Amino acid sequence: MATRQLGAKKLRVLPGFKLTLGFTLFYLGLIVLIPLSAVFIKTSTLTWAQFSHTVFSPQALAAYRLSFGASFFAALVNAIFGLIVAWVLVRYNFLGKKLVDALVDLPFALPTAVAGITLATLYSPNGWIGGLLAPLGIKVAYTQLGVFVALTFIGLPFIVRTVQPVLEDFDPELEDAAASLGANRWQVFWRVIFPTLTPALLTGFALAFARALGEYGSVVFISSNIPMKTQIVPLLIMNELDGFQYAKATALAVVMLVISFLILLAVNVLQWWSNRYNTNNLA
Amino acid sequence: MSVEVRNITKKFGGFTALDNVSLKVESGELVALLGPSGSGKTTLLRTIAGLEFPDNTGEAQVLFYGEDVTSIPASERKAGFAFQHYALFRHMTVFENIAFGLRVRPKTTRPAEVKIRERVGELLKLIQLEPLAERFPSQLSGGQRQRVALARALAVEPKVLLLDEPFGALDAKVRKELRRWLRNLHDEIHITTLFVTHDQEEALEVSDRVAILRDGKIEQIGTPDEIYDHPASPFVYDFLGNVNLFSGRVHEGSVTIGDSKFDVPETSGESGADTVAFVRPHDIRITREANGQKSFPARIVRSNAAGPVANLELERFDGGGRFTAQLGKEEFQQLQLKAGENVFVELKNVKVFSDDFSI
Repeated sequence: MATRQLGAKKLRVLPGFKLTLGFTLFYLGLIVLIPLSAVFIKTSTLTWAQFSHTVFSPQALAAYRLSFGASFFAALVNAIFGLIVAWVLVRYNFLGKKLVDALVDLPFALPTAVAGITLATLYSPNGWIGGLLAPLGIKVAYTQLGVFVALTFIGLPFIVRTVQPVLEDFDPELEDAAASLGANRWQVFWRVIFPTLTPALLTGFALAFARALGEYGSVVFISSNIPMKTQIVPLLIMNELDGFQYAKATALAVVMLVISFLILLAVNVLQWWSNRYNTNNLA
Repeated sequence: MSVEVRNITKKFGGFTALDNVSLKVESGELVALLGPSGSGKTTLLRTIAGLEFPDNTGEAQVLFYGEDVTSIPASERKAGFAFQHYALFRHMTVFENIAFGLRVRPKTTRPAEVKIRERVGELLKLIQLEPLAERFPSQLSGGQRQRVALARALAVEPKVLLLDEPFGALDAKVRKELRRWLRNLHDEIHITTLFVTHDQEEALEVSDRVAILRDGKIEQIGTPDEIYDHPASPFVYDFLGNVNLFSGRVHEGSVTIGDSKFDVPETSGESGADTVAFVRPHDIRITREANGQKSFPARIVRSNAAGPVANLELERFDGGGRFTAQLGKEEFQQLQLKAGENVFVELKNVKVFSDDFSI
């Protein structure tokens, strides 16, 4: 019986499906699921009234708005400029290209607190950039705009690094084909190049967005952290923890978790849809 | 009325891809550009399409039916182009791929949606892929993809159809089917067509005329019969099929190889000069008995009779090296040839070129 089953089984070069799947589930459980479920368990110690009072307080609502809004726009701006950076790095050769390429990764490597302090110093009214903007009436540091700037800074590498390889693989013959069919440059970009980049662009967007939602270190320095105005959700959670309100802190975390999960799920669906042509089932 | 290029020169760095090339393709003609890789055939095709531009602006000209299009970019030239690896837009269905050229037209000249559907429908019928209109390119076989690429190029009603090794990425069987299909298609719609290939069999079978390129120059151009029967140079002769080389001496109307003498109708050059005689494997006759001076002895080294013809590898007794012969299955069986046996060899259709010995 055993040998017959063996014959029917598809033989792979590298065995170990059961072992690796088992490890994957164990690992995900240990590192991701158990801590996250602890958040839910801790939250469940609150009554429904306490819970809704915490998560729907005006202060919390303002913080959600800022966190999700600033993260969304930061990811959006990064999607546009990250695409341009990736385009330049792939398409052109220029002096110092390797250096620019390495610079892109800096936001990954830099401790976020350092980034926050640097940005706050630069953008404060007496800083290098803030000083130039102040006469125009634009205040960046200690405002919502500052939060947005910090989140843009940390999100850039995600877009560049996801779009770059796809752009490198793009076959220049497709551009030739489109041109010979009468497409102008704009049409070549929008109708031929851009659609092939969308799945990667969406992945990068989702990563940058998720990263920005969880960002704490850099924002606390550039934001004035005033409730209702410049307070992000992670900071609100920290405040609750400082007051030993653990259940309230986890309640806010649960809301963040659920919303983030739904948004990322939506992005994944969108990504699957934009990549639907990528099938290999020959009929 | 024709598609014509004049004095095209194109260099890539230090490499000369095209060296003052001129070519004229008559309206409705199907011309093959044949040559080894690096001979400039693809560059010539891309220059006609407007995807490359000649270096010698001013002298160089590309003419479509008398109209000078030399400086017009690809997008306005109306030349249909098909690529070796199809270059289909993989995020679009077969239908949308074919419709692309119509959809990108400016609003004023863009056909109505109904007209687009009609036109794409006709083309799908032409390439016999009507049921697959909603498939994506990744769901098609190689042969189907190339047919879609052809339909896409034809959709814009191009003035000339340019095919860059259209069957190069396909397996042998599909390739033969598709090139017959292409010939039939051309007989049906009579569009001026240029196609690049490195496969001499393909070029000779499909085209009205063949241009043979070598090192950025056109070595010879003519109908398949002309170039096969009267090659202008050893290069052309060699490129069009297998060939055996025998060194010998030229005389008026003949050539001597070792102690044997063979008739050569078209000789030139001074008598007694060293030369190289070219003989195709199927122009070699094998006999059991000597035929005086008209044959020489050789030993069969290897024989292979799989397929419609038998291939023999033979070695001359006088140390002149090995050569190959091809003979019909029937003849092979009658002679009962085996490896290791000694036989006599006669040469037919011996070709001698006057000066250039190199291939």
